Amino acid sequence: MVRGSSRVVEIISKTLSEMLVCPLSKQPLRVCEKSNSLISHAIGVSFPVVDGIPCLVPRDGEIIETDSDRTTADSFDAKTDHKTAQE
Amino acid sequence: MSVRIAARSLRSKILPMFAPAATLHSHATSFGFKEVNEEDKSQLVGNVFTKVASNYDIMNDLMSGGLHRLWKERLVSKLSPFPGMKHLDVAGGTGDVAFRILETIYSVHRRAVDDTLEDDLHEETQIHVCDINPNMLNVGRKRAQQRGLGDLGSLAWIEGDAEKLTFEDNSMDGYTIAFGIRNVTHIEKVLAEAYRVLKKGGRFLCLELSHVDTPVFKQLYDQYSFSVIPVMGELVAGDRDSYQYLVESVRRFPPQEVFASMIADAGFQKVEYENLVGGVVAIHSGLKI
Repeated sequence: MVRGSSRVVEIISKTLSEMLVCPLSKQPLRVCEKSNSLISHAIGVSFPVVDGIPCLVPRDGEIIETDSDRTTADSFDAKTDHKTAQE
Repeated sequence: MSVRIAARSLRSKILPMFAPAATLHSHATSFGFKEVNEEDKSQLVGNVFTKVASNYDIMNDLMSGGLHRLWKERLVSKLSPFPGMKHLDVAGGTGDVAFRILETIYSVHRRAVDDTLEDDLHEETQIHVCDINPNMLNVGRKRAQQRGLGDLGSLAWIEGDAEKLTFEDNSMDGYTIAFGIRNVTHIEKVLAEAYRVLKKGGRFLCLELSHVDTPVFKQLYDQYSFSVIPVMGELVAGDRDSYQYLVESVRRFPPQEVFASMIADAGFQKVEYENLVGGVVAIHSGLKI
């Protein structure tokens, strides 16, 4: 019944990833296969996919550091940034 | 029937003046009968469900004498599931409601005349189970496997927050929340999100433990709740406190009429509720028109 389970559960279905949006900005998410996560470019946060289940609770998100962005804003933790994004 | 609806719509104009702000604040800062900080409630509830996840279904059977199955069946029949529907079951953790919806859709299909259009529609069916607690979702996924629903593309499991849903506006034909709304921090945010994700014509359905008013029955029910259930929790799950929280949180949740007015405030039309077992549970429904 469960075939090739470890590979299959790592990937979430394309249909599902197209339906999901960022829980805070409600903008579309991008699937990042390398890091097995869903990226919300609108707020610069990545959400993990754990064991095939997308974890899209705001506190699960991690801020993505980009090379050109070494400002003090990066030192804010995810929680603070989510609160700002909500406002 | 129309008199009752008229009375309800009149009440829904008056009640908001007295109830909501105080009711909502008190719900956001209560964990059963305890007062807590708003920011902490989610974590406290999370701890409860992490602990009860593995015994959740057995305890439901024991506490309700198996009745919870009938209540969920009633909920699903009110939903009238159809092939090709996009549905969201929130706080659906262990999958009870989602499985019933899928099984209803498939049983309708089997009885129908062989039709390629139907088959295409079936491909489109998408039932999403959203829960904030990963333990509950994992239990649900295992149960889906056991029930033979595990490999179906139609069932999707998502870890998410009912107050901040991860779906687009106007994307769902149906929204259900069974025994979940009692545990959220901000009821009004959950209702607003439900309204947002539903399509026009979409149906909102909520199954929840509610308030009993009938004199003798109320005393019996209170006795049962406070004397029997926490002890059952202790004996079966080794966890008295979680079940104490459960019975207290039922008492703290707004009564049927107040909750109905909150649903109307979120924008839903034709808001109604049906009491089962004299109000031990109630199914509230609304339409997004």
